[in-house]
Amino acid sequence: MSEANTIDFSLVLASSVHDMKNSVGMLLASLESVIEDTPPTNEIQARRFSTLHYEASRINSELIQLLTIYRMQNEFLPVHVDEHYVIDILEDQIARNHMLMETKGVSVALDCDHDLNWYFDHDLLGSVVHNILVNCVRYTNTAIRISASVDNDLLCISIADDGPGYPPEMLCRPAGAVEDAEVSKGGTHLGLYFAEKIAGFHRQHNRTGYIDLYNGEPLGGGVFKVYIP
Amino acid sequence: MSGINYSKLSILIVDDFSSFRNTVNGMLTGLGVERIEMAASADEAIGWCRNHFFDLVLCDYNLGTGRTGQHVLEELRYRKLITRQTLFLIVSAESSRTIVMCAYDCEPDDFLMKPINARMLQQRMDRLLRQRQILTPVYKALDEQNYSKAMELLIDLSLAEDRHSAIAQKLLGSLFVNQGEFDKAEKLYTRALEVRQLDWARLGLARVKQARGELELAGNWLEKIVDDNPLFLPAYDVLAENWNKQGESYNVQFTVQRAVDISPMSILRQKHLASVARDNNDLITALDAQRRSVKLGRLSCHGRADDHFNFARLASLAVERQIDVDPNISNEALAVLDSAKENYSLSEAQQAQCNLLAGRIHALEKRPDIAEQFFEAAQEFMVNVPLDIDVEIDRVTALLAMNKKQQAEELLEELKVTFANDQHALEKLDRFLSEPASDSNREFVAAINHEGIELYNQGAFDDALACFERARKLFPKHVGIQLNIVQALIGKLKSGSSDNIVINECRNSLQLVSTLIDEEHPQFDRFSRLKTMANSAML
Repeated sequence: MSEANTIDFSLVLASSVHDMKNSVGMLLASLESVIEDTPPTNEIQARRFSTLHYEASRINSELIQLLTIYRMQNEFLPVHVDEHYVIDILEDQIARNHMLMETKGVSVALDCDHDLNWYFDHDLLGSVVHNILVNCVRYTNTAIRISASVDNDLLCISIADDGPGYPPEMLCRPAGAVEDAEVSKGGTHLGLYFAEKIAGFHRQHNRTGYIDLYNGEPLGGGVFKVYIP
Repeated sequence: MSGINYSKLSILIVDDFSSFRNTVNGMLTGLGVERIEMAASADEAIGWCRNHFFDLVLCDYNLGTGRTGQHVLEELRYRKLITRQTLFLIVSAESSRTIVMCAYDCEPDDFLMKPINARMLQQRMDRLLRQRQILTPVYKALDEQNYSKAMELLIDLSLAEDRHSAIAQKLLGSLFVNQGEFDKAEKLYTRALEVRQLDWARLGLARVKQARGELELAGNWLEKIVDDNPLFLPAYDVLAENWNKQGESYNVQFTVQRAVDISPMSILRQKHLASVARDNNDLITALDAQRRSVKLGRLSCHGRADDHFNFARLASLAVERQIDVDPNISNEALAVLDSAKENYSLSEAQQAQCNLLAGRIHALEKRPDIAEQFFEAAQEFMVNVPLDIDVEIDRVTALLAMNKKQQAEELLEELKVTFANDQHALEKLDRFLSEPASDSNREFVAAINHEGIELYNQGAFDDALACFERARKLFPKHVGIQLNIVQALIGKLKSGSSDNIVINECRNSLQLVSTLIDEEHPQFDRFSRLKTMANSAML
């Protein structure tokens, strides 16, 4: 294949991803109004709704990631760091996924000082939280806990669940090592790759943002942490 | 959370899909909003705002008809159909990233990404409405132009260290700059920068430096800002202005070009690019930018019939100067003129201009009869039109294109007398005259000549030439400048640089002067002397 064809293909891909994202967005909105109008009457129905909603959300957030990565590579991703209140983006993402969590029967606890403010790109960090949240809803049993605090002059947003935790192969790699190759190889870990890239866009005084994963406290399941300088 | 009385709010929903309008309508009704209106297109939305006040406009970005939510906002602000009291939210299925570029020019209060749900909507609205509540007294003071009051209020807000202090600081900073309170502005931005290298504060500080005339420093800072964040458009605008203040017109063009490459949809920047490129004689760039301005003008409230005329002027100039452009450019220009007639209700002066420009193009395309017809039609319109320098200049260029040199000269002489007291008009005429008629250009030529002669006396021939070239660009028919160029070239030849390029330039300049003067001309003796000197130097 000639080089020109490759470039065309990535453009076509990007624009069709864009279209798909819009369709899935419509799908999600319609689904939410269907669920609102006719709430599930039994366990099986609730599970079906939850599956539908989860899968659509997942496609939606993956498509957003794909587009963002496309823009990253084509140097057209403006990073607009400004002062924001951390609770705003956390509440936004909880509200965005409220229906998803409700149909799945997952409770979410938010622990964040109302006055905590920090410097970051509102949309980019929001999409990281959104994406991890959707993932957590899939793997957790009953609860998710989101917290934010300043730790050693870094903003730390932590998203924990009470599910089985991250698989060992995802934990063994040292922090900051989601390789480009790893993503292109298996198509997995896209979310983590994305999160790490976004964290990395945030720099201050020679310090760069990063992510960290482990299993255990506070809920005994997986814990995702993103640090922003 | 809020304490916001939703039942009292009036909200406009703008979306081309009825299903989305209804969904959002349902959400808002659920929140207790009683006054909700809906619009399916940009025109409808603008129509609603003409006669109604809305607390909030929720507008989809992609409205299907080509116009976007951004166009709606631009027009509402431009026509003053909404004030700062109306919150404007863009709702979009695209990542807000793609639209954030054009949004720098006309910033909405917030973006919401589809899909949205009632909870998200409420949270955003709560936050924005609370902020509006707090800023209302400030906006009121600003609208009353009571700036000291506004500053007082903003100082309190920015010291509060709560979630509204950052926006108060931004507003206060630009208010300080606009009101000439540079020390205060500098202090505010410096303090903000102690915490963080924020773009808005860095830009603010650069604006302070610029306003104080420290242009070089401001320029360095601005370059640094765009290096760090190449997509931060407002910095390019200030940087372009900075180069403009330094008189570096090529750097102005280069800077505007960079901003246009990032955000090609901004019509005002395209127009700016076309005009600086025109002044720099870069007709290819100017034509391209003007073509885009015409195209973007179809959807934007900033579109003007003049954009069409300017395209025709640039196209004619390119043909006159035999620049390597699309051979079809004349037809394109005629079509652009026609579309001006279709899309705008033209005044009589504009009708005249339109016909003069068409006449000029037909003349250049060697269709003298058609050119004559257009010229006649234009003259008829001009009977009723009050004297207007721009129309007159189009008449001069049309006459020149039609090879009616004599008539053109007479008209120019007449205009020089008529506009003797209008410096601005005289500046426009200068381009066609052998000596500048306006004070400003006379001073400019005098200053630049003086500088060039200084350099010449020091033996810095290349620098002197650069000086004279700048003057020649503005006044191609100025004999004195031409002769200075010849003299500097001779100096260069005599100092031992006898390459062919210099010899050719010298020969061409002399040739040009000989077409401009005759034995009666006061500079004729000097011309003869230089010719002899040149001939011996070129041996």
